[in-house]
Amino acid sequence: MSATMVQRKPGLGFLAGVGTVFRMETRQRLRTRGWYILLVVWFVVIGLVAALAAYATGAWAPDDGAGYVAGSGIGQVMFELVIAFVLFFGLLVAPALSANTVSGDRSAGTLAVLQNTLLTPGQILAGKWLAAWVSSLAFLVVSLPMVVWAMTYGDVYLPAVPVFLLMTAVEFGIVCAIGVGVSARAGRTLFAVVSTYLLVALLALGTAIAYGLSFQLVEEQVTVSAQIWPDDPWSKVQYNDAGEAVDGQGEVIKDQDAYFTQIQEEADSYTIDPNAYVCGPDTYQASIFHTERITWLLAANPFVVIADAVPTRASSGPPTGSGIMNALSQGVRGSQAGLPGQAPCQDGKKQDVAVSADAGTDGAPLWPLGLLVQLCLAALLLLLGRRRLRTPVRRLPRGTRIA
Amino acid sequence: MGIQTTRYDGGGPAFAHPEPLGVVATGLVRSFGTVHAVEAIDFTARPGEVTALIGPNGSGKTTLLLMLASLLAPDAGSIRICGIDPVADPRGVRAQLGWMPDTLGVWEELTVHEILAMMGRLYGASKASAAARADELLGIVKLAEFASRPARVLSRGQQQRLSLARALVHDPQVLLLDEPASGLDPGARIDLRNLLRDLADRGRTVVVSSHVLVELDEMADRAVFIAAGRSVSELTVDDAGARQRRYSIQSTDPAALAAELSAAGVQASVADGQRRKPTVVRLESETAAAELLRRLVLAGVPVTAFGPSAGALEESYVSSVGPAATDQAGGTR
Ligand SMILES: Nc1ncnc2c1ncn2[C@@H]1O[C@H](COP(=O)(O)OP(=O)(O)OP(=O)(O)O)[C@@H](O)[C@H]1O
Ligand SMILES: [Mg+2]
Repeated sequence: MSATMVQRKPGLGFLAGVGTVFRMETRQRLRTRGWYILLVVWFVVIGLVAALAAYATGAWAPDDGAGYVAGSGIGQVMFELVIAFVLFFGLLVAPALSANTVSGDRSAGTLAVLQNTLLTPGQILAGKWLAAWVSSLAFLVVSLPMVVWAMTYGDVYLPAVPVFLLMTAVEFGIVCAIGVGVSARAGRTLFAVVSTYLLVALLALGTAIAYGLSFQLVEEQVTVSAQIWPDDPWSKVQYNDAGEAVDGQGEVIKDQDAYFTQIQEEADSYTIDPNAYVCGPDTYQASIFHTERITWLLAANPFVVIADAVPTRASSGPPTGSGIMNALSQGVRGSQAGLPGQAPCQDGKKQDVAVSADAGTDGAPLWPLGLLVQLCLAALLLLLGRRRLRTPVRRLPRGTRIA
Repeated sequence: MGIQTTRYDGGGPAFAHPEPLGVVATGLVRSFGTVHAVEAIDFTARPGEVTALIGPNGSGKTTLLLMLASLLAPDAGSIRICGIDPVADPRGVRAQLGWMPDTLGVWEELTVHEILAMMGRLYGASKASAAARADELLGIVKLAEFASRPARVLSRGQQQRLSLARALVHDPQVLLLDEPASGLDPGARIDLRNLLRDLADRGRTVVVSSHVLVELDEMADRAVFIAAGRSVSELTVDDAGARQRRYSIQSTDPAALAAELSAAGVQASVADGQRRKPTVVRLESETAAAELLRRLVLAGVPVTAFGPSAGALEESYVSSVGPAATDQAGGTR
């Protein structure tokens, strides 16, 4: 008997502790009606967004050739709109789900009871985070029908779907981690929720605002001139001061209409090579922006992370619809590529950086950087929260009691 | 290792350990900013005894218990719970220690049984043994019929009992209870008293803070008085009983009583503050009390009540903590 007494050692495995905290949290959540109401509201709102997208893109028009054509991009547009809204609403819901976890226990007087068990602060945080994350994933699951709806149009780029689901889940997890960390740190639930919202707003809006404001910093005045494609039939046309087309000798061409029709025919059979241009003789001053120096500011934006990570159909393929996430991704990669697109002719010289027709797909992906920044932020907050949960407490924040 | 293995079968604990068991705290100091909640407290609680922690509001009882419960670090001083230092090895202490806070905290949406079972699991018990222990505890604290109700609907006294059961979930060696009797009905208080006595008799160390001194009189073996963050005295309840104390006497013939008392040379006064205006005398010991009662009865005074006017601890409370604090002590009776 004395042997069992002396050897009595705390025996709570890490996963067992996390699992129990997780179960306590989820059971409580599953029993609150508010959570279900929120799920239903979410379903309705995302459903409305998807329906509106379907309506706006003409999917509901009669199939008479003018309206919906299979594979014309409606599904892709709708899919990307649903992505954007799921992420948007997720950023609104996840803080509310996570930021009350630890601080709620603190104000209910149950946190000290948990701390007095064999649980470590890390287990408490991990269990609470897992519970918040899983319940935010429920919102993702509820949005799946809309994703499937978009897929029924047959033109959704299939590899994008799993990546989208995965990245959204990751983003929700990060926001929940931020919420749980802040919640452990904060004394009051309200403060924790508001702080989490502010941090999420910092990521989603603050990055965009910072990017916009930084444009001034990277502005440069350069001398530029027009791009001319010598092979382009239209660029061979010469005009007099009255705006009439003239021939090589400066004589006004008699039948202007016939001439333009002929040029148009030539132009129709001409495919433009974006790099086969020369710089025109007329120069003027213009501002260019070294956006490649500030694009990193956007990296931590959750919308950019997802837009950038979700693959899009190779642009050489048949033209299909592209939605707002694709546009965002293209925009960000263009911004990352920086100058070449902005001023192909500087100081009368052709810039040697190749300008492709589609600059968007050239830049290196930005989302790994963004994800890293977000993970670091979440980890930092969790660490700070963990310090606040350590017992025995040495420094107690003013005006708080343990019990 | 689960709850079963932590169960203690009631053998003698002291000789199994070279270190002092129970609770030993010396020179504790703790302040919150400019508030000196605990200035100098020495506290000992032995296995097999119920130790009462007594002191006025704000004297630092809860703060002391938080430090003993490994939740609050002392600014100075040392603590040993079953020979383990809670600052160095809080988890080691927690496996041995049950703590019942004075603030009631429950997980509102969980059922009573779930709370106990989950808590058992947080002490490392297996699912089955945690559930069995929860059932057992619900029987002990008489909450069995509430097992599947959400904790939110429990009354205050029921929550208090749940909180007590929660503190017992891993059958701890040391039990720290912060005002466990507040909100309990008389029947539940008697149950609590019996439960704590029983635990002490099985070798557990039980520390109870309470303002209900009559209650403590009957279950505590020892009392530690603290006032303004300092431990002012420590005595066993038997010592307290042997001290000079006041007795109140009631008679249907107050005049005869007064005459006989003055004939016996006993100083008497009439207590105004109480409803029945008993006569109060101060006597040196229990023997003197027995002697006086015999004399009164033989003299034909119609005595209807004769007994200590206050519990032994209340008398000691007044003398250790100071008369200024009597109002608080009396107020909670
Ligand atoms: N976290 C804190 N911050 C500031 N002051 C505190 C804190 N905790 C306790 N105090 C102060 O320390 C003193 C002792 O408080 P404590 O709660 O230990 O008293 P107590 O003896 O338990 O009183 P009661 O009988 O009312 O329960 C009080 O004056 C209280 O205001
Ligand atoms: Mg107290």
